Amino acid sequence: MASKQKNLTPQQQNYQQLQQKYELKRPVLKNCIKAFFVGGLICTIGQAISYFYIYFFNFTEQTAGNPTVATMVFFAMLLTGFGVYDRIGQFGGAGSAVPVTGFGNAVISAAIEHRTEGFVLGVGGNMFKLAGSVILFGVFAAFAVALIKTLLGMWGVL
Amino acid sequence: MTSRFWKLGMVLMAFVLLPACGQDNGNESRGALLKTTNPSPLSIANGRTSHVEKIRKDISSFPEVYDVAVIKGKKETLVVYKVKHLNRFKMKGIEAKLNKFLEKRYPKENFKVSSDYKIFLEAVRLREDEEKHNLSKKEAEKRFQKIIKLKDETT
Repeated sequence: MASKQKNLTPQQQNYQQLQQKYELKRPVLKNCIKAFFVGGLICTIGQAISYFYIYFFNFTEQTAGNPTVATMVFFAMLLTGFGVYDRIGQFGGAGSAVPVTGFGNAVISAAIEHRTEGFVLGVGGNMFKLAGSVILFGVFAAFAVALIKTLLGMWGVL
Repeated sequence: MTSRFWKLGMVLMAFVLLPACGQDNGNESRGALLKTTNPSPLSIANGRTSHVEKIRKDISSFPEVYDVAVIKGKKETLVVYKVKHLNRFKMKGIEAKLNKFLEKRYPKENFKVSSDYKIFLEAVRLREDEEKHNLSKKEAEKRFQKIIKLKDETT
């Protein structure tokens, strides 16, 4: 950071100081509280859907997770299409992006954004532009955790 | 914008809270996933519940466990329990501990131990149906085997 400051001309440094003076402070604590409640609400709805599948269908606690995730993603996709999830996202921030519903939102919002470029190269090619990174790092993280767990199991730690 | 969120929040709260105002028609299974039901034990094979009640008391004495259902069939005895929230991180350890305890205390019994909510719900439903609809032994055993099969699928 300091080296970056050195490379700037005096005029640029003055401008940065001026910009810092007028920059609005982000309400970090308020945003955290909003994210906590929105994320919590989404998870509560997820838990209710999970209980619904356990109560009315032949799903156990372990297997109810798959249809629950599918349902949540589907609802998030519908809400994104209707323009409701954007508003939830503006209000809840990370609270709406971190749960699995954020994945559905990322897929559909990219598809909507690129629909003018055509169905194949536009929608098809860009649909996973945002969600692709979620899948990649999710798979990699799962692989790393499984590897660590296997090694610990082999060494008798777990 | 904010008022719209309040309205949405109020509607959601109504959906969550209003079902609690409904009359409890003696259906234990209706709230078995959310409330503590403590169902009385059931012995399909001979109808004597004293032995099964003893098993239930033994399991209930574990501090990590609450709400225990025990059903004894012809061959197997099903023990289902709910684990207290903060102890749910140690589910496998608790199951192993219970298995070890039961094997040591009742060596002749063949236990099937589970902490799955679905298995618990089905156990409560079986006991309830047995009580209300007077299920025949054969029918009750058939339902019991279905629960055992479901339990084995999850492990």
